[in-house]
Parts: sequence; C-alpha cells; structure tokens
Amino acid sequence: MRRLVPLRQVVSLFLSQRGGAMAVGAVLAALAVLAGVALLGLSGWFITATALAGLVPAGALMFDVFMPGAGIRLLAILRTAARYGERVVAHDATLALLAALRERLFRGFAQPGIARALAARPARLLFRLSVDVDALDSVYLRLLVPGAAAVATALCAGVALALIDWRLGVGLPAALLLPGLGLPLWLAGAAERAARRRAAALEALRVRGVDLVAGQTAWLMAGRLPAQTEAVMAAEARLAEADDALHRLETLAGLVFGLAGALLLGGMGWAVAALGLPAPQAALALLVALAAMEPFAALRRGAIEMGRGARAAARLLPAMEAVPPAPAMLPPQGVALRLSALRYTPPGAARPLFDGLSLDIATGEYLVVTGPSGAGKSTLLALLTGEATPQSGGIALLPHALLSQRVELFQDSLRGNLLLAAPGADDAALAAALQEAGLEGLSLDSRLGEGGAGLSAGQRRRLALARVLLRDAPLWLLDEATEALDGDTARQVLARLGRRDGQAVLAVAHLRREAEMADRIIRLEQGRITGEWRRGKAGFAEALARLRPG
Amino acid sequence: MPESRAGAWLQVLASLLWVPQAALIAALVAGIAGAGGPLFWFAAGIAAIGALRAGAEALGQRMVFRAARAGLTAQRRRAVGSLAARSPLDTGRPASGAAAAALAEQAEAVLPYLSRYRPARLRSTVVPCVLLLVVLTQSWLAALVLLVAAPLIPLFMALVGLRAKEASEAQMLEIGGMNALLLDRLRGLATIRAFDAVDATARRLRAAAESLRARSMAVLRIAFLSSAVLELFASLGVAMVAVYVGFHLLGTLEFGAWGGRMGLGPALFVLLLAPAFFEPLRDLAAAWHDRAAGEAALASLDALAAPPALALPEARAAVEAEGTAPGVSVRGLAFRHAGAAGPVLDGFELDIAPGEHVALLGASGAGKSTLLALLAGLAAPQGGRIAIGPRGLEPAALRGRIAWLGQQPELFAGSLRANLLLGRPGLDPEPWRRALLPDLPPDRPIGEDGAGLSGGEALRLGLARAVLPPGAGLILADEPTAHLDAATAREVTTALLLAARGRTLLLATHDPVLAARMDRVVRL
Repeated sequence: MRRLVPLRQVVSLFLSQRGGAMAVGAVLAALAVLAGVALLGLSGWFITATALAGLVPAGALMFDVFMPGAGIRLLAILRTAARYGERVVAHDATLALLAALRERLFRGFAQPGIARALAARPARLLFRLSVDVDALDSVYLRLLVPGAAAVATALCAGVALALIDWRLGVGLPAALLLPGLGLPLWLAGAAERAARRRAAALEALRVRGVDLVAGQTAWLMAGRLPAQTEAVMAAEARLAEADDALHRLETLAGLVFGLAGALLLGGMGWAVAALGLPAPQAALALLVALAAMEPFAALRRGAIEMGRGARAAARLLPAMEAVPPAPAMLPPQGVALRLSALRYTPPGAARPLFDGLSLDIATGEYLVVTGPSGAGKSTLLALLTGEATPQSGGIALLPHALLSQRVELFQDSLRGNLLLAAPGADDAALAAALQEAGLEGLSLDSRLGEGGAGLSAGQRRRLALARVLLRDAPLWLLDEATEALDGDTARQVLARLGRRDGQAVLAVAHLRREAEMADRIIRLEQGRITGEWRRGKAGFAEALARLRPG
Repeated sequence: MPESRAGAWLQVLASLLWVPQAALIAALVAGIAGAGGPLFWFAAGIAAIGALRAGAEALGQRMVFRAARAGLTAQRRRAVGSLAARSPLDTGRPASGAAAAALAEQAEAVLPYLSRYRPARLRSTVVPCVLLLVVLTQSWLAALVLLVAAPLIPLFMALVGLRAKEASEAQMLEIGGMNALLLDRLRGLATIRAFDAVDATARRLRAAAESLRARSMAVLRIAFLSSAVLELFASLGVAMVAVYVGFHLLGTLEFGAWGGRMGLGPALFVLLLAPAFFEPLRDLAAAWHDRAAGEAALASLDALAAPPALALPEARAAVEAEGTAPGVSVRGLAFRHAGAAGPVLDGFELDIAPGEHVALLGASGAGKSTLLALLAGLAAPQGGRIAIGPRGLEPAALRGRIAWLGQQPELFAGSLRANLLLGRPGLDPEPWRRALLPDLPPDRPIGEDGAGLSGGEALRLGLARAVLPPGAGLILADEPTAHLDAATAREVTTALLLAARGRTLLLATHDPVLAARMDRVVRL
C-alpha cells in the first residue's frame, strides 16, 4: 500500500488544477447512481403498496398515486441527465489535465540533467512518459469518480434503509463497503506485480518495435532480421502472459464480488423476512440492495489501474518539479565567450578531461579549434550549450547558435524545421536562408520524415546551416560545418559564414577549408590547449597545412 | 473461435439466470405480503442462483479473454512480418515511432474490443428477446412497453455510433502522430535547447494535446449521447412498467394481463425483469468506445500487415560464402523513387573486377546512395540487372556476403559488443574492435541511435560491424570518412583498405584523399 502514496500527490495536483470540474464530475456520477437506486427502490415499494391497496375495495381510492408516479418519472430523467453531464464534465477535465501535464513534463525533461539521460534512451523514456501520462488519466476517471459514486451510494442507501429499520441501515453499507472497497484494494495490491511485468513487456515490445523499424537495414545486412522479429514477438509473448495474469486476478475479484453480492441479496431477503417488515418496505429494501451493488463493479478496473497510476506518479513527479534553468552568464563587453579555470570530469571517467581550461573569444573573432578524436572538442561544445555542467570554473557566453555534428532535424515541414531557429521569420527570410545554404531547389512546404528522413547527408547539413544562418546570434558554434559537402558547395557556404560583420565563431574543424578564414587556430589535445596561432603570425600557415585537405 | 463463442454464450446464460433469481425475489416479497411459502428457502435460493451467475460470468469472461489475447498475438505477428519485409527505400514506410505505437500500446485496444464489446453484442441480441418472452407470459402490455422502447435504442445507437467511429479513427491517428512527434522532438532536444526553442516546442506540444482533447471530446460527446439516449429509454421503460403495473394493481388499469388482474408476485417479477431487459444494451453502450478504439487499432494493425509498396527482394536461396571477392556487373540499371519527378538512375552501367576498389564520386543527390542500396539488395531495380560473383547472382541472395556501411550506422541501446555482434553467432568482434575502436571497451554502454558516441566513433563502429563476417567479400560503403578528423580519417582509410584486402570495395565519397587510395574512380 505504501507504493500507492504518490497517488495522493497526483490527486492534490489535479485538485489544484481543476478541482471544481472534478468535484462536479464526481457529484454528478453519484447523483446518476443514486437516481437509479431510488428509481428501482421506489418502483418496488410502489408496486407492493398498490398491490396491497388494491386488495382492499376502498384502498385504491385512498392511495395517493400521484407522488410516487411523478417521482419515478422524475428519477428516470434525472438519472439520464446526471449520467451524461458526469461523462462530459469528467472526461473534459481529465483531458485538460493531460494536456497541461504533457507541456509541464516536456519542460521538465528539457532540463540539462534529464535531457542527457533522455538523449541516451529517448524512445524508451518517451514511451514511459506517454504511458505514464495515460496512466494518470485513469486515476481520476476510473478511481476517484466511481469510488466517490460507490461510497455515496452505499451511505445514502444505508440512510434510506435506516428509516425502515436501523439494523438494515447499518448492515447494508457494511455489507456493500466491506467487499466493495476491500476487494479493489486487495486487487490493487495483488495486481501490482503483474501490472509491472505488463508495463515492462509493453515497453520492450515498443522499444524492440522501434529498433526493428529504425534499424531494419542493419538487421537485414547482418542476417538478423528474422531474429529481431522474433525478439519483438518474445516481448509480445511476455505481454500476453502478464495480460492474462491481470485478467485472471480481475475475474477472480469479480467472482468474489459476485458471490458476496449473491450472499448480500439472499441475506437481505432473509433479514426482511426475519424482521417481519411490511411487504412494501421489504420490497424497497431488497431492490435498493440490488441496485446499490452496481457502482462497485466499476471499481474493479480502477483497482487494476491503481498500481499503474501510482508507479507513473512516482516516476513523473520528480520531472514535474522542474526548476527553470539558470540564465547563462554574459561575458564582459567586447568578449563573445569566456571560459575561466574550467574543470570537468565526464561521468565515469577517472581523470578530469578539462582541468583549468581558460579561453577567450573576442566579439567578431573567428576561432578554429582543431585536435584529434577524443581531445575534448565535442565535450567543450556540450559544456558551452549547457548539455554538460562543469564541476567548477566559469562559462560566460553571448546568445549563440549551434551547428552540431549530428544534424538533428524534425518530422515537420521544411518551414517548421527552419522556424525552430527563428520563430518570427517570414517565408522570404526562410527562402533567403535556404538559398544562402545552397538549398534553393527545395520548397518550404516539403515535409521531412522522422529525424529529417528524405534528405541526403549533404542536404541535411545544408539545412542545419540554413538554420544557423537564420539565427540572429552574435556567436556561432560550428561543429565540422562542411563535412559531407562537395567542394564547391562547401566553399560557397564557408564564404557566407565568414561574411557577417561582428560575428564571433567557434568552429571545430578537421578540414583545411573550414579553418582558412580563422583569425586564430588553437589545438586541443587531451583537454589542453597545446598550440595557438594567430593569422599573420608565425606558424599559422603550418597549422593550416597540417589539417586535412578539402 | 469456438472458445470465444462458448464463453460469450456462457455470459448470456449468466444474464438469463436472473430470471429464476428475480422470480424468487418476487415470491419472497409476495410471501411476506401474505401469500406465505418457505421464505428462508427463497432467500437461500436467491443466494445460490446469484453464486451460480457469478461463476458462469467469470468462466465466460476467461474463455473469451483467452481467445481474444491469442487473436491479438496473431495480428501482431502479421504486422511485424510485414514491417520486416518492407524495403528501406520504400517512402511509404511508417516512421518507427508511429509503427511501434500501432504495434504496442494502440493495439492493446483490441483486447477490450474482442473481450468486452463482442460478448456484449451477443448478450444484447439474445437476452432482451428471451426476457421479453418471459414478460409476455405475465403481461402483454408490459411486454409491449418494453418492445416499443427497445427497437428505438439500436436505431439511435447506430446513427450516433457511425459518427463516433469516424471521429475515433481520426483521433487514433492523431495519438500515433503525437507520439511520433514527441519522440522526434525529444531526440533532437540538444538542438531545441541550443536554439532556445524549448518554450516554443513545449507550447506546440501543448497545442497538439489541446487539439487532441478537442477531437476526443467531439468523439466522446457523441459516444456519450448514444449512451444517454439508451439510459433515457431504459429509465423511462422501467418507470413506465412500474407505473403501469402500479395502476394495474390498484385496479385503475384492469387490462394488459392474461385473465384478469396480476398478483403481487408476477407484478414484481415483471418489474425486476424490466431493468435486466435494458442492461445488456447498456453494457453494449459502455463498450461502444471499446469498439471504436478496437476497430481503429485493428485497422492500424491491418495497415501495418498490408503487403509493402516496395518490398525487400526475397532471398531465393541462401548462398554459402565462397571466401573470394566477387566481381560486380551492372547493366542498364534504372530506379525511380516513388513520387520523384524523374529516375535517379537510368541505364546505368558499371563493371567491377573481383577484388577491385572503386570510388563513386558525384554531387549530392546524384544517386550514389541509391546505387549502393540496390547493390546491397535493399530494393529491386525497376530496370536492368545486377550480377554479383562468378555465378552472377542477384544481390538479395548474397546479403550475407556483403558488408554494408550506411551514411549513419543504425546503432541500438546496449553494449558496444552487442552493437558489433547484433546477435550473430560464431563471430569474434575483438580483433576488429581493437583495430577500429581501441579506446572503447567492449562493455561500453551505448544509447539509442548511438547516443554518447562521437560521429567518428559511430562510423567506425558501423565499419567494424560490417566487416566482422569473414565471408563478406564485397564491401559497400556510403561516405565512410565523412565526419572524421584528418587523423581518424587516415586511420579509417587504412583500416578500410586493410579490411578490403582480398575483398571487393565500392564506396561513395566526397573525400579526395580516400578516392585517391582506390584503384579506380567512377563519376556519377
């Protein structure tokens, strides 16, 4: 039961967001059920009473048929209206909560710390995210609403029967609530393990499905396509097992509740006979007991969902308590980027990669960073963009635009991909940027597939460049800007990159052409600056010459 | 599915057991009112029949569920099989996120549909008919009231349900699309953050969720309307029966029963059957949403299971490795991407001698990647012929003998070793790992899509993985030195040439250094 604690926080979060609508939904639900109970009970009483009155010749004339008759019809209409209102209000409230949750969670996930974990397993974490959000959906609709309705029904039915005989008034709620709430609680606990296995299997099915489709070529060429297909189906087999276990439990709970209901009805029959109640009251008590069992049946599915909802809540709550990231420090006037005594040890590394690294880039300066693989060039960029956080030392930089090594494009129109960099840009500006990047042939309306599928490596690169060009940032961070571009296009693009006045650039480069317009070249080796050459000073030409031609 | 049908009928039986139970309840009240009888045995009978009902219901549910679950497994197997048979060049290929969503969480909607909606439909056709006949034996007028109320219900529900189905299908599409959208955006979180677009993206997601809410509510309002109509008719039906029976018992309405006035027992019996008459219809309405979601999910699965527009060429016969470098002969090769204006390759010819190393040079989009994909048997050309090796076999028959290195190697969450092996038995990844990835230990964890590796490392991993099988005599590489620094590019080039020793090599590249190391350069 302790596992269910996070649910409380979710409920209070929901209440703070849409408490009013939620309460209205629950009240309407209770009203609908109660109207149904009253309808049946009143009808039973009415028929029995009229039968007895009809036996006496004058009885029919004395009997007031108006009130019960009108009451029965009124209850019929009330039940319908309340049911419809409850459904609409409760679902709308739930979906509004979910929409708000999605946004809040995305913001939470966009923090540097979480973003890094996410970057390693986006499919798995995202799937959890959407499953968890869906699970919270059922907390209100399947748990709170039917729970409130069932408890209200049991209590009101108890009050009504207490007017006939206090023993019935105590006995009925007790006989309803004990199995009616006890079984769902037992079920929530018993189903927890199967629900967890089910969630894991569904996740595995999902992740392996993504791997199968996204990595189809790799599996195919390795001759492992059938094996990966079987891996997907193995997850499905585990899912089937867990589904079946859950259904077994749910059915068992239903069976026990059905048996308890049979006992309750038989017991009520015995009680009304033993108490010697008048027949109309006996009919009312029996029919109320019959109708009051109905709302408890709905609780079983809620109980199955309870464990899921609690786990989802436990996983999501930390992300939702996200604090906005601290704004980046701005460097002093005339400096575009300043690193001072930077110290950073990558996760899992024994020694720091950077130990006291300091570096200044003046506004308008074009700095090229060279160095072998593993020298720390990519990590340096990660630190600058806030993807990694240094253990000590200062980072101050102007607003910047990044051209990353792995081009990240999105399933969206070309326009949508460009607008990411400049939300306010009009089509003319976008088209101009495309042309500058050498993509004039493409339409802004053409749609890209997942991760920008549909473009060649060169086109992807150029589209990413267009994004950077669009970005009106005083500092550009370029990670191998012209890799995979043919010589002519690369030279065109580089010419554009170097032409803006006052534009500071930090470019990680391997190719000579990318370094040719540098004001300064530094060489990074094992996190240390081992060489620095300024344009026009000794060694600059030699430093250029050491780079890969192209 | 006989088990499913038997289970559904068992649930029908459970519903019908209400008839004797209601008769006993009516007899009990009539007995209290003065008719007498073994009252306590009536009460015991009520409990016993209730227990029997619960048992039949539970057993029926289990039988139906097991059959439904087996059906879902079969559906998923078909969908996975078709996804695997699709060519990577098929432009209609579903995005991995959308396909996995349809396969995994959306397909779960099939279960409630098969295990709840279907039995509810059977109950709703059988149980009311039987109950109507039973009521008819007591009072023709009460039966008439029910008869009038009942046929209106399916009519209304059909009208309302039709629109609900359309709306629900649109909604399912949007859920899949939204999952894909989220996955896509979170994958590029670094870029979104770099562009300070977290806020804008979050707002866009919110807008997508809000639009989903609006669409969902459009579906639900209609779906709820159908259940409200039902609820109204059911409530009014019960109310009218009760009021009629009441007046009848008072003597105000003398007609309607067979042979004079009903007694209290039959009257209560009729009243108790009235809600049970409508209950199966209410259950059906409650399962209506299951139906819409379930049918949409089945349709999505069927769409995945449909034969692909562009299929992977079938490997007709698995060919044993011959251990030699095959030659390649390409004659009149033609290929046009679906939806493209013109062919990317038209009448292309190429001959590569066994063991020859050839570079393909050409502008971006000239068809280098397509040519390599056709040579790897990822799609069948629309015209012309590719013959590989002394026996002139098609590429699809020879995939095991081809080492493929794509532009961006597909990497998976797991260890480096697992990514190198991809589960292939009998291979030792160590020599190639030491040669190409000396800095990375074999148990180094790798994220989805190779997260955590530099571009160069990912490429070297892909290369090591491709050349792992010694029998792969033909290496096809798409821009292998892109994204590598000069030193690493040199290393990779050296490693590639080492790996290509005794193998045929065809690579697409922009790298003049790499191209210069080949035996021959072909311009496209």
